[in-house]
Amino acid sequence: MKRRTVLKGTLVGAAAVAMPFVARAQASTKLSFLTWNIADQEALFKDEFADFQRTHKGVEIEWLDKKGPDLPAFYQTQLVAGTAPDVVDLQGAIWVEYAANGALLDLTPYLAKEPDVARLYNPDYLASWRYEGKTYMLPFYIAKTLLYYNKTMFKEAGLAGPPTSFDELIEFSGRMVKGEKSGFLTLNFDWLYWPLFKMNGVDLLTPDLKKPAFNTPTAVAVLDRLAKATQSGAINKIAWTGRWVEPNGAFAGGTVGMLHAHSSSYFFVKGQGPWINRDTLGVAQAPGYWATPTNHGFAISKTSKHPDLAWEFIKLLTGNRWATEFARRRKLLTGTIQADKDGLELIRKEDPLGGEVLQTQLEHTDKFTGNWPLPYDAALKDAFYPEIQNAVLGRKTAQTALADAERAVERVMRRRA
Amino acid sequence: MIWCLLAPSLAIFLAYRVLPLAWNVVLSFEDWSPLHPARWIGWDNYDEMLFDDDVFWQALWNTLLFMASAPIAIAMALGLALLVNADIRGRDVYRTIVFLSYPLMTVAVAIIWRWMFDERVGLINYVARSLGLVDRPIEFLNSFDWALPSVIVANIWQTLGFYMIVLLTGLQSIPPELREAAAIDGAGAVRRFWAITMPLLRPAVFLCFVIGMLNSFTSFDLVYVMTGGGPGRATELLVTYIYKLGFAQTRFDYAAAVTVFFFALLISVTAVANRLSGDDAGAMRAD
Repeated sequence: MKRRTVLKGTLVGAAAVAMPFVARAQASTKLSFLTWNIADQEALFKDEFADFQRTHKGVEIEWLDKKGPDLPAFYQTQLVAGTAPDVVDLQGAIWVEYAANGALLDLTPYLAKEPDVARLYNPDYLASWRYEGKTYMLPFYIAKTLLYYNKTMFKEAGLAGPPTSFDELIEFSGRMVKGEKSGFLTLNFDWLYWPLFKMNGVDLLTPDLKKPAFNTPTAVAVLDRLAKATQSGAINKIAWTGRWVEPNGAFAGGTVGMLHAHSSSYFFVKGQGPWINRDTLGVAQAPGYWATPTNHGFAISKTSKHPDLAWEFIKLLTGNRWATEFARRRKLLTGTIQADKDGLELIRKEDPLGGEVLQTQLEHTDKFTGNWPLPYDAALKDAFYPEIQNAVLGRKTAQTALADAERAVERVMRRRA
Repeated sequence: MIWCLLAPSLAIFLAYRVLPLAWNVVLSFEDWSPLHPARWIGWDNYDEMLFDDDVFWQALWNTLLFMASAPIAIAMALGLALLVNADIRGRDVYRTIVFLSYPLMTVAVAIIWRWMFDERVGLINYVARSLGLVDRPIEFLNSFDWALPSVIVANIWQTLGFYMIVLLTGLQSIPPELREAAAIDGAGAVRRFWAITMPLLRPAVFLCFVIGMLNSFTSFDLVYVMTGGGPGRATELLVTYIYKLGFAQTRFDYAAAVTVFFFALLISVTAVANRLSGDDAGAMRAD
């Protein structure tokens, strides 16, 4: 046997032996991906994973979806176990606590390195994931509050259009009270009711977020008016007691004049309210254009073994192609500028009213409120809101309730800050 | 040999009951969350709980009120047990109907009652308005005054069947000759009830009482689904508050302190109940 043949044979043999190890090494790269209550998009995710795997050979993606209240508990246990998913979908302000405690990867260097990527996203929405100057998430899907109104009830009450001030909102609500009918409802979770205060110039905290700023004569007057309107039936009590289904369901029943809710409510309300069409349902910004966002974003866990790969992955998910597809399939907006433009066009063709609702989500995005970057936001909400309920449901005067709320908020800030 | 047989059960008991409880006690003295390492802080959590937390006291008060509903349920169950123990036609059907609510999932019970109490489409308001008892629907679960009683009603409804079965078993274990002899001696029905039935039924009543107490302390799912602890703090129980502290506010350390207090309270109440029953709560005499 010639020496060359022996050498060739040895090399081929070595390559053959090495191949499975190489293949195994590639296949062992796994990205874990945790989403929040969006299991219905399995088909989309599978397409996205396949697309990602085309350019990242051998990467395995492990996807897990958790229902609303389960995700935070699950994510926390995974953090403790040191097995936090590489990429996680987080909603509301919960991310701040994780970011403040070092659980999330700072995405600022990635965005600085790839400015074109940063330019893909609506800057106001992207800014809502900034904590202490660092950006921690990319937008998955976005929503903010707006005002829905029942045009039929408005016409019956002799009202030409939606209110443009808090005074009008209260006055219009009162004019629509008749028998079972009431004038106004708001969703109340996650500070969604806060635009009612903000449109009157009331702030929850001082600009440095160090002290409560809400116990003022103006705030007392606002709360007092909300309480009186609630007692008179102008504001439906479900506004303060119901969670999501109840207020949306009440508005869908056709006996409430206005609903202050996020864009996600539209599809539920439309599904429940056979009366809803472009002639009967109006959409507008809340007076003062203030709105509370309820966005979902993608974060990368700091413990991720493949942060760069995770970054590539979320870039793909939030990039123009897949964000547009997501917007079209789920009829929502994503915070990716071009995708929202394209997605909105498609939605307008299929559902013009839905298009009108989503259009509001892209306007006045510089007027977000109720999204303070505080690591103890949940505790603050839990301290503050019961006192608002005490006032609007007539258990305490507005003045007493706000004084008690101030004490409760100070306690949280003293203990947690 | 006996220890070998007991070992698997003891191991499970140790791993799933004793160790978590011990860890919970340690945690209550620490500043810890899943997001940062533990730091020993001594009595700080207890200090906050006892002297700086109005919600804790409100939740404790509500829990005690909720607990106080157990005797009402037991009294109602006793009445039903006496009724279905009597020689009436179709008593087996009545027993089954009353018991049916108990095996239902608590979440399902909560959802059923949430709709029953609903002001727009709820059956209770519909009937009350149809009969002209009220002009406007009562906002049972949205009212500070009605919310807790409404939740208690739902709880009583669910547990009534269980108490009835326990008490019925107790009634049936009382030898009928005793009542017959008393009747021959001229004792009326009321006298027979207080002099014979009740003393002999005492272990069953106390068993119900202890279970009722424990059930009141742990009615998390019912309250959470029906009201979420609201409006305000009107239906906040210690157990719902512990959940919120841990899983909504990520304050597992403080939640652990409240849990330790809660555990001590449970043990105390159970011990008192046992003492009142003559240290043999739940025991059924064979003689």
